[in-house]
Amino acid sequence: MPYDDPEPDDPHVLVGVSLPGDASATREMAEAFSDEFAQMGFDGDRILRLFRTPFYAGAHAALQLLGEAEVARIVDESLRVFGRQRFRVRAAGSVGRRGSCPR
Amino acid sequence: MPSVKNWQLGRDMSYPYEARYPSRQFAFVFNINRCIACQSCTMACKSTWTFSKGQEHMWWANVETKPYGGYPRFWDVKILEQLDQASPDGQTWSGAPADARDRPYGQYDGQTIFEAAHRTLSPDSARVLGYLPTDEEWNSPNIYEDNPVGPRGVRNRLSETGESLPVHNTWFFYLARICNHCSYPACLAACPRQAIYKRPEDGIVLLDQEQCRGYRKCVEACPYKKTMYRGNTRTSEKCIACYPRVEGKDPESGGDPMETRCMAACIGQIRMQGLVKIDADGAWAEDRWNPLYYLVHVAKVALPLYPQLGTQPNGYYIPPRWVPRPYLRQMFGPGVDLALERSGAPDRELRAVLQLFRRSNKIIFRYEVKEGPKVYDGTLHGKPVVLYDDTVIAYGKDGKELFRTTVEEPIYVRPAIHANSI
Repeated sequence: MPYDDPEPDDPHVLVGVSLPGDASATREMAEAFSDEFAQMGFDGDRILRLFRTPFYAGAHAALQLLGEAEVARIVDESLRVFGRQRFRVRAAGSVGRRGSCPR
Repeated sequence: MPSVKNWQLGRDMSYPYEARYPSRQFAFVFNINRCIACQSCTMACKSTWTFSKGQEHMWWANVETKPYGGYPRFWDVKILEQLDQASPDGQTWSGAPADARDRPYGQYDGQTIFEAAHRTLSPDSARVLGYLPTDEEWNSPNIYEDNPVGPRGVRNRLSETGESLPVHNTWFFYLARICNHCSYPACLAACPRQAIYKRPEDGIVLLDQEQCRGYRKCVEACPYKKTMYRGNTRTSEKCIACYPRVEGKDPESGGDPMETRCMAACIGQIRMQGLVKIDADGAWAEDRWNPLYYLVHVAKVALPLYPQLGTQPNGYYIPPRWVPRPYLRQMFGPGVDLALERSGAPDRELRAVLQLFRRSNKIIFRYEVKEGPKVYDGTLHGKPVVLYDDTVIAYGKDGKELFRTTVEEPIYVRPAIHANSI
């Protein structure tokens, strides 16, 4: 973790450049996360929390770039399709449970 | 050098040893579209296997932010560049993806790391094109990726919010990685002590600590850089595929083969691991109702990581759909376009198989789909979507049912206050 300005020959200094993205790539990423987690049984609040958490940098970057309203619209769209169902997992020889957590 | 058949390349290739194949092969599929880099897999592996002194830099399982990050730094850029230098005609493919099990992606016409070594390296005993990462490349698994730095001048404290990180308008995705337990392991090929071996029962590649003398030829040779040197024991170590779990010896398993720790810990449920049947010629034996066979050979949505390197890796990825195609083609080969087309609009069976991910920690050997009624017919992001209430049943090694999953429409009972509100 750097605490001071790096030396000019510091091998840890980032030498790459960012590859330009566009709104469509960001939107498609947001849609992918939203669709996938909706299919896992997340509700709207949980999916939006994922986008709001800064440590999930991919989802959070989408939120910052697209805006909360657009991400909320994307999540709503996913939930309109996948939020209508609940997946029921029944382990052999046990009582079934709803949701998707495998524990 | 002996010639072996590499079905991922659609041709024979040179390899330092004669071909020998396990009866079953450890393999896995990761759905990258779901990965949010929570690093639960990374920490599950770390806390299980590599928490000791001398293992500080060892991350047998890691998640890196592509295309910017990598552990060790620039591992894939470096080996691809070396391969380009050794193979001036480029890493090109011919033909087209087809249904054939022994040539699903066409034919690779470039050089593998074994063939390039044969042509370009000296002395003649050099077997695999590779490089030894520097200490700097090993010492920061996530540098400049997702982790925000802490407040200036304060040690051992990270930013609590992370918002201070600049937001770049760019594209990226998360690539979760473990050892690919390759069919033609470069680490095994390079070891002068023959300390690395591939188990005949499950194809797991292990490194015998008694035999290892720490020459680091395996570290140099593995193109995925998944063997790591441990300074205080002067031996190398690598992912062991949690083999006690795969053998069914974990107390939790009740004797049934279980998936690895990194699979079981996956919060995004991106992972499925299994043991696939292998034919006498090294290709996957037809096993239509094995979920991994279905994803790789029938639906063709899961693709090997850098197949052009030639090790025939057994890790497969459902590519992220928002990433530029040329980058994905380089990373996963020519099967990318078909894989994205199918995974972006899953058909009925694919949607059912995707529901098997992480529903159980036990290894699924067979699945069955019992068709149910249509529950949704509409569009999503402008594409048609049809959903069915199908029941997907998973079976274990002995043919006994592990679990079944169904989709159900929730029933809402209108509260009394609104009973006659229409």
